[in-house]
Amino acid sequence: MTCERIEELLSAFLEGELAAAEKAEVAAHLAACPECARLLDLLKETTCALAGFPEVEPSPELMAGLYAVPERKAARKRWFRPVFDTLTRPALQPVFAAFTVLFIALSFVLFHPEARGVRKQISVQFHKGVGAVEKIYADAGGLKGEIRAVSANFIKSFKNLDVLKSGEGKK
Amino acid sequence: MDLDAVIRECLEGSQSAWETLVNTFAKRIFNMAYQFSGSRQEAEDKTQEVFLKLYGALPRYDSGKNFTAWLLTLAKNHLIDEYRRTKWEKTQRDDFDERVLAQTAGDGPEQSLVEKEAKTLVWEGLNRLSADMRMVIILRDLQGKSYEEVAEILDLPLGTVKSRVNRARLQLALVLREYRGGTS
Repeated sequence: MTCERIEELLSAFLEGELAAAEKAEVAAHLAACPECARLLDLLKETTCALAGFPEVEPSPELMAGLYAVPERKAARKRWFRPVFDTLTRPALQPVFAAFTVLFIALSFVLFHPEARGVRKQISVQFHKGVGAVEKIYADAGGLKGEIRAVSANFIKSFKNLDVLKSGEGKK
Repeated sequence: MDLDAVIRECLEGSQSAWETLVNTFAKRIFNMAYQFSGSRQEAEDKTQEVFLKLYGALPRYDSGKNFTAWLLTLAKNHLIDEYRRTKWEKTQRDDFDERVLAQTAGDGPEQSLVEKEAKTLVWEGLNRLSADMRMVIILRDLQGKSYEEVAEILDLPLGTVKSRVNRARLQLALVLREYRGGTS
């Protein structure tokens, strides 16, 4: 047997779990190999040290905390329940659906491989829209001026009509 | 004590049944967490978390199963998951409790010193083991479980458990050899 194989069998050898033939083989190797015999001694020392580790008593504070677990869970439930009930109201379902659609659209815009192109397109469309609105405003401004001119002319002609009427009366 | 009856009462909301369950298992879980983490504070936190989980998981417990093994599996999973999630690996464990070492004085002061040194080295050496190795050695050598029980708790084949225990012990033995200067 090689030293590697002996290493694999050392715990079983210590615990008496080997078959008689294998046990004799390991014992013979240990008698002839000081390195493996030394390892066996260290292994014995290790298992003794491990077996001698005592159990530690949990502190009274810990025990009190453990006794209070049901109470803590119940308190958490008391706080959690109303929030959960509010969030799961059927009336909020369309809101969640709208948010979901919004998030999907947003994630598409932000994380799509060609997101830059998409954003650029959105920006172009947005600026086009703004331009169109500005044009409408400008046109509306011009129209306003024309209406003012027409109404001023109309008032002027109306006044002139009065002057003419009074002139006819004098005659 | 009829554990199944205690669990049934717990599920019905009995505080005294819960306290019975805590009294029965708190020490075992706390020691498991302490031996695994090497820190009393960490062990207290983890014990609290395990019992919180236990309280939530009790309705899912199948009464036909071994409750102790089921609880130890739950504790083991929590300890290893938390260890991996938080990478909580201290470079140093708490100092080995001197008062406890004093109780185990052997054949005289010299023997006691050797034992104390070995215990301290092995205690610190536990940190060198991987989480899986540490857990297997804790269950087998520190908690004194049989190989079969360890295999049930860890849900591993018996042969794998035996081989892991042997490798873990060898690693700890090598810590002793390293400290004492090779093949002295």
